[in-house]
Amino acid sequence: MFTPEDALKKENTYIAGTYDVAVVGAGHAGCEAAHACARLGLDTILFTLQLDSLANLPCNPSIGGTSKGQLVREVDALGGIMGKIADKCAIQTRMLNSSKGPAVHSPRAQMDRSMYSVTMKHYLENTDNLTIKQAHITSLLTKGDKEVTGVMSSTGAIYLCKACVICSGTYMEAKTFLGEVINESGPDGLPRSVGLSASLKELGIPMLRFKTGTPVRVNKKSVDFSKMQRQDGETDIPPFSFENEMNGYTVPSEQVPCWSVWTTDETRTVISENMHRSPLYSGVIEGVGPRYCPSIEDKFMRFKDKSRHQIFVEPMGLNTNEMYLQGFSTSLPEEVQEKMVRSLPGLSEAVIQRNAYAIEYDLVDPLSLKATLESKTVTGLFTAGQINGSSGYEEAAAQGIIAGINAAMKVLGKEPVVIDRSRGYIGVLIDDLVTKGTNEPYRMMTSRAEYRLFLRQDNADQRLTPTGYKTGLISEERYEKFMSKMKDIEEETERLRKTYISPSEELKKILESIGSVCPVSGISLAELLKRPKITYDMLEPVDKDRRPLGRDVIFAVETDLKYEGYLKLEKEKIEKFKELENKELPSDIDYGAISGLRLEARQKLDRIRPENVGRASRISGVSPADIAVLLVYLEAYRKRRPKEGSET
Amino acid sequence: MPASENRPFCACSTPGGVSGIAVIRMSGKGSFEVAGKVFRILRAAGDVKDISSMEGYTAALARAFDPETGNTVDDCVITVFRAPHSYTGDDMVEISCHGGVAVKQELIRILTENGARAALPGEFTKTAFLNGKLDLTEAEAVMNVIASDSERALRASNTQLGGALKRELNEAEDKLYEALSKIEMMVEFPEHDDTPENTREVLDIITKVRETFISLRDSYKKGKVLSERMKVALCGLPNSGKSSLLNSLTGYDRAIVTEVAGTTRDTLEVEVNVNGIPVTLIDTAGIRETDDRIEAMGVERAREASFESDLVLYLAAPDMPSDEMTGQIRDLIAGGVDKGSMAVVFSKSDLGTNSSSEKIMSECRAMGIESFISVSSVDRIYLEELKNFITDRYENLGGTASSETILINKRHALLIEESVGYLDMGIDAIENDMGLDAASSVLRLALDKTGEITGKSVSSELVDNIFSRFCIGK
Repeated sequence: MFTPEDALKKENTYIAGTYDVAVVGAGHAGCEAAHACARLGLDTILFTLQLDSLANLPCNPSIGGTSKGQLVREVDALGGIMGKIADKCAIQTRMLNSSKGPAVHSPRAQMDRSMYSVTMKHYLENTDNLTIKQAHITSLLTKGDKEVTGVMSSTGAIYLCKACVICSGTYMEAKTFLGEVINESGPDGLPRSVGLSASLKELGIPMLRFKTGTPVRVNKKSVDFSKMQRQDGETDIPPFSFENEMNGYTVPSEQVPCWSVWTTDETRTVISENMHRSPLYSGVIEGVGPRYCPSIEDKFMRFKDKSRHQIFVEPMGLNTNEMYLQGFSTSLPEEVQEKMVRSLPGLSEAVIQRNAYAIEYDLVDPLSLKATLESKTVTGLFTAGQINGSSGYEEAAAQGIIAGINAAMKVLGKEPVVIDRSRGYIGVLIDDLVTKGTNEPYRMMTSRAEYRLFLRQDNADQRLTPTGYKTGLISEERYEKFMSKMKDIEEETERLRKTYISPSEELKKILESIGSVCPVSGISLAELLKRPKITYDMLEPVDKDRRPLGRDVIFAVETDLKYEGYLKLEKEKIEKFKELENKELPSDIDYGAISGLRLEARQKLDRIRPENVGRASRISGVSPADIAVLLVYLEAYRKRRPKEGSET
Repeated sequence: MPASENRPFCACSTPGGVSGIAVIRMSGKGSFEVAGKVFRILRAAGDVKDISSMEGYTAALARAFDPETGNTVDDCVITVFRAPHSYTGDDMVEISCHGGVAVKQELIRILTENGARAALPGEFTKTAFLNGKLDLTEAEAVMNVIASDSERALRASNTQLGGALKRELNEAEDKLYEALSKIEMMVEFPEHDDTPENTREVLDIITKVRETFISLRDSYKKGKVLSERMKVALCGLPNSGKSSLLNSLTGYDRAIVTEVAGTTRDTLEVEVNVNGIPVTLIDTAGIRETDDRIEAMGVERAREASFESDLVLYLAAPDMPSDEMTGQIRDLIAGGVDKGSMAVVFSKSDLGTNSSSEKIMSECRAMGIESFISVSSVDRIYLEELKNFITDRYENLGGTASSETILINKRHALLIEESVGYLDMGIDAIENDMGLDAASSVLRLALDKTGEITGKSVSSELVDNIFSRFCIGK
């Protein structure tokens, strides 16, 4: 591996600049990382292979969804930008799961894809301390394979830096598959990244190869929507960004619809007749694909008892006719794709504008990372996004902001920022990746979060804005507004607890309307709210002293009161979680000598060397029985240490 | 000298006191070396001369002596177990020696002076656990086997040791996971119409698991008796025949009767084995109203004893005032004694029929008492009937628990109880539309609790709690 000095000795190389932080890749992770570093005052440079595709949405033209919406809100609470840009570019907004309890309410918005890219680009262009550069970074420069000192582009330009965040998405040594046709290309026909992967490998970083895919796009003109189910947006939901919400921003009132259809018997026939031509099943694709976002042929192969699957037809923007077929990703050949699409109701005349394809790419084994997303072996090297084995824009952005913050903290010589599992989906995501690893593209899901009732989209600001402020990404002005919101929540909760109302005809009417019994004596408003089906709004006629409050404040107050009992239990669970999290594992522990551990656990613990028992307990292959053994061992270890010292 | 924890440890594994033979066990690296210093082989298979070269699972006749003085202590049979094929998973030596107290003490002294150390409470089983020989449930069951002193208790422990409890809980856990995954499907893929929207199914599953847990929980009432003995209180007016009944129950059974110091000098507790069930008979002071302060205290304690008992036998003798007796029975019930666990025993039936028995029976029936027995402490047939009555009572403890498995461990019972609480909350959340998120949150808590029994989840206090309760030697 080169040092900058070695690199300079080569032909046609030169020093192009010196920066605090270099961010390689300007997708959703790279944009957040670069923005965070620049906002924290560091001289930052952001590289992209193609400026016009910065913050590209190469797959779904949407942001948010179950658990992903929570991530966007958390990124915003920390001071990130995805939510703000998404708010500006939304063309349809919805709150998923609104009937299934506040913990799983998930905001989702359709984006105008090109507008998103342009808006993000322009926003970053105007960010202080940030340089944006179209360049192909081909190698990392280090000192003694241990410390990042710079990066070099395909033109021989050397950029010196103190820390580097690599967010290569699906570009490293990428190959796309369209039936038998294989291209050495990135997504959307963009150039791929060559050389960087080898450079990482040379540093001793363990690499993996995954695959993912994307569906076809058809021209709206050729679609018969009368054969489809229409799905409209909702206009009475909050925007993604808390800052926008506090400033009174609302989601667009004019929205475009999405549509859905079901596959037919013909779809199935076309697929099964052509299965042998799928590079997935003929063994051409080596990379591992995601279980949660399978290609349509995968769905038919794996769920043989299901005769049909649902497909969503979504607009790609306001200034284009392209419609995206969600759930119809495939790597079957071009002419088969046309037959498949035309087997769908309303799409019999469909004109395909872009073909579906599968893509295979190199990534870093996330088990080689610290919770800060820095490499365990190379100082100053951070990675974020799909390069760490995740899938999804929101997962990428979440890692991007954490990697960016920690790269900045490293350069500034400050304490790193780690969000634990009890504080955010961000914590769950990163902890899963770096302690459990993944053998397929990792998709965030709400069920991965143990403390879901706490990790709600509505309270992401309560959980993370203080951290964002302390880090320096939240402005004074925003923080003041946040504090005043907190004060409102606290005061209103207190008021509801202390305000007792006596039984009255009016109260009786309200309660009876939802099948609840009117109490015989006075009852606090808080107690009333805890009853099922009673809402804050419903109680207005009997609550004379209420003052006007923001919708966000009311929602927070109402939810925390209604779920108080459940939240209390979850809080106890969090305390238990912290107990194991606080039990540190000594760095000199010899797992090989603890014979009670099963062999797999011994090997995994020795390789990953978790910092504490909590983290050890989440390593796949380490069972609770192994943890019990570790706990007993630790006790003996603690007892033995001082004794050994005195005896020798 | 190595750290003391690295030395082999030893303890006597058979009960204290004098017996025919006793077994001393030693476990850990170096056990063979220590034994080699203390024993000289007299005869062994394959003509092996020293302990270190004995194969696993072989025995030798050996003479124990004190290396310091050269004095012989005893002739023993030594069995060698080589790691990992031993109870603890480490090298082990089992020494069968003669069962005199002095022999045992002397052997342990010599072993500890020659490189071994005394075992800590529970250390053999703890080591077995650490070496992956037992899981937590099995380890707990071992402890219960040691502590159990009746055949039935042993059987219940063995069922657990064989993993019956674990199997039953695993099934319940699988069902809860099924309910959870149904919820997650609904929550995770809300845009899809083909996800199951049927919360009814989820509710059905939870309700069924709850029933299983309730019957498991109730089985602890029976299991408690197995591990803690069934308490039977004898009440009645002074001279109603309590003491003689007690004597004939204990005498007839020829059980080893140990007089446990009663909670007060006013109640006498006797441990007795009734048809294989460990029973503590509590002879309460005769209950009667009294002005004497000290006696009043005794009477109060007698009442307390009745309330804590699994079965209260109220003795009615033929020549006693029936109103006073029914009054006392009424007081006991009003004071909290469960009428279902109360029986009226017409004592001294050899002295003739109880003239007021009809009257007492009808009044007691009105109070909800259904059990009446006649006994005579001199007639064995009557006694047999009473003993069968106690056995029946025991069988019915914990209701008609459908589960074969009986919980014998208080920790398990408490965890199941907590689990039931969470399932109730989950059912409540679904029925009242509180949201699937709340339901799934408490379902996970319920699973955490059962997981602490099956070893699927672990808390830091758990491990210590379990092993601190072990007695030495196992």
